[in-house]
Amino acid sequence: MSHWMFNCKEVSRRVSESMDHRLPLYQRMLIRMHLLMCKYCTRFRHQLLLLREFCRSPQMAEDFLDPTVVLPPDARERIRQALKSSSP
Amino acid sequence: MTQITEEISATNPNLDPGTWVDQYGDYLYRFALARIKGQAVAEDLVQETFLAALHGRKSFKGHSTVKTWLTAILKHKIVDYLRKKNREQAIDDIDTVTQTVEGFYHNSGTWKIPPGKWDLDPSKIYEQHEFMNTLFKCLSELPGRLSKVFMLREMEGLSTKEICNALQVSSTNSWVMLYRARAYLRRCLETFWFNNTKEENR
Repeated sequence: MSHWMFNCKEVSRRVSESMDHRLPLYQRMLIRMHLLMCKYCTRFRHQLLLLREFCRSPQMAEDFLDPTVVLPPDARERIRQALKSSSP
Repeated sequence: MTQITEEISATNPNLDPGTWVDQYGDYLYRFALARIKGQAVAEDLVQETFLAALHGRKSFKGHSTVKTWLTAILKHKIVDYLRKKNREQAIDDIDTVTQTVEGFYHNSGTWKIPPGKWDLDPSKIYEQHEFMNTLFKCLSELPGRLSKVFMLREMEGLSTKEICNALQVSSTNSWVMLYRARAYLRRCLETFWFNNTKEENR
């Protein structure tokens, strides 16, 4: 691979970085070119985005929570006391 | 900033700790119990969450709901608890994670352990639940600082600038930390979740 092209390691690091701030145009172009040719880096990118989407989805499997489960009364009271005694 | 948050807490009745247990206790308990085993542990984590929230009330910026804010604190508590519990699996220093991530590539920079195919159907609630549990397990393997950076960014959606301020790291450093955390977690999820489900399906 030519020296001016990114390898997989460089691309995956920058793919992650691009999720945190905007990369310079030439880097975005080099990444895009690499992704067109490389299915593993494309997969890597896709999976990082999926992970983010998953982590940020509002329900995030909350629907799975059992609504019949409640904090037992004694624990409730204990926590209430703990909060009261450490209130400023 | 402090003044603003004080105003919020003065005007926002939800920030009255006296009402927290009744309003959010059941939900947080349910959430904890879905991620870890043991009622007593779940109760303790809920209590720790409320206490941490009480002492950190000033950091609540009002960007999210109180429920989301409390849940975020609980998630950190769960990961910390799992890390302590699985001492032998947790990695203490960031260098080890760096080495692991470096090991995904050949010296030439091509993939040595290329990303596998993921069959995740986000619409299946049960799969989401299992995926989430594996994610928490994987997060608990990371050194505290890395899992914290990841959770602040990817779960709580803080900007890297906010993370830099909170953890006193440079922007460049935060990007590198996030890259390592993501790459490590991606691989960890693949190992523990996707491989298992694939085997079960076959």
